[in-house]
Amino acid sequence: MTVDSLTFVGESISGAKASAEELLSRLDEAKIDRAVVCPLKPRSSLLEEANDIVAAAVRRYPDRLVGFARVDPNLGDDAVRELHRATGELGLRGLFLHPWEETFRIHDPRVDPLLEGLTVPVIVAAGYPWLSEGLQVGELARRHPGVTVVATNGCQLNISGLGQVDAELALAGNANLAVQTTGVYREDFLEGVAARFGAERLLYASGFPFFDPRLEVLRVRWAPNLDEGARRLVLGGNAERLLLG
Amino acid sequence: MTIVDAPEVNPDALELIAEACAAYPGRLDAFARIHPWYGDESLALLERAIVELGFKGLKLHPVTTIAHPAGEDTLRLIRKAAEHSAPTLFHCGDEPLATPLAVARAAAACPEATIILGHMGGYAHVDEAIEVAERHPNIVLETSAMPYPDKIRAAVGRLGPERVLYASDGPACSPRIEVEKVRLAGLGKDAERLVLGENAKRLLDAVS
Repeated sequence: MTVDSLTFVGESISGAKASAEELLSRLDEAKIDRAVVCPLKPRSSLLEEANDIVAAAVRRYPDRLVGFARVDPNLGDDAVRELHRATGELGLRGLFLHPWEETFRIHDPRVDPLLEGLTVPVIVAAGYPWLSEGLQVGELARRHPGVTVVATNGCQLNISGLGQVDAELALAGNANLAVQTTGVYREDFLEGVAARFGAERLLYASGFPFFDPRLEVLRVRWAPNLDEGARRLVLGGNAERLLLG
Repeated sequence: MTIVDAPEVNPDALELIAEACAAYPGRLDAFARIHPWYGDESLALLERAIVELGFKGLKLHPVTTIAHPAGEDTLRLIRKAAEHSAPTLFHCGDEPLATPLAVARAAAACPEATIILGHMGGYAHVDEAIEVAERHPNIVLETSAMPYPDKIRAAVGRLGPERVLYASDGPACSPRIEVEKVRLAGLGKDAERLVLGENAKRLLDAVS
């Protein structure tokens, strides 16, 4: 089974938008079976509305989609309450944090109340300068060793590859940290993560609609130095184990 | 091209590339990656690369050299390349010294030079790359690493298919995937042919 471990639905304040049907159509084109779906930041900036949209999409396509909740740690107790509502009442299965769009340091102490005692995984939009650099995401994982932390973009987002070493240091220091393939053009980096830290810690993800699943999945399907067992884990096995529960 | 900036690290960098190209005539063309800070030595390296060794262009990586694209040392190199109708390929991405607006300063200062924006702005500066190319007709965009097929289509639509070049950045990126990225852009047969090869050939053939 192939699982896209990061996609979005809704209408973003930045202009990006995707319906569940558009997402599934694109997944079908790329021969992808299931997807983790997260909220886009809505024009209202009210993430509760966005979580409701994700929950509705999952209710329509329960065999294809697993929903994650998005909250803003800047809102303190209100964020904790929304996380409980979304993972309880709405049935969402994980937490998605976007330090760039909500503007917070991923290792700011205000994030800690969300992760304390958390029993679902966390996906972090990673690689953004100042806010979710590789070692900063690693620091979050270090403070919460019982929580599975999954970093987008290989835990680095740099067209020169300058963030790769810090991403690898974060992986080396935190067994609870895994990374996604989203937009990572360096196949040697992706294969290196699998070789050095284990294929169990690398997950295929497209980040649709920001990236195109038809291209992104090729980074794994065509990676020449992954053996077939590792490829199966990266394409879906790891997402089933870590994110789908 | 090498991944170091001559004359630093490997003083035989140009020879290494020249030998590789000579081993596969008709398949490989060389660009000279040069550090601008060595003044007349840098200029002499470029002159030798083009005139004696048959190199086809200049490559500049402002992030590894910490040399601003519009610094005088850099502009001298760009102008020297342009004397031979050789293009200058800049690493162009999301870091200071390498953003499209920074490289556009060089394009404005050297209107006689062809300036290629490698990675066409990276992850977060792609729209900016297209915008500066609209303002400066001597700017050409190069597709490697940049992960958005639809932005290739946008660039071709706004600039024309003659001003976008396929590139892989191999071996860091997979040429197989990078070609597929251009195909996913859905450019149509004629534009795709230009982007995938004819534009590059036209630029390389013009070098004298």
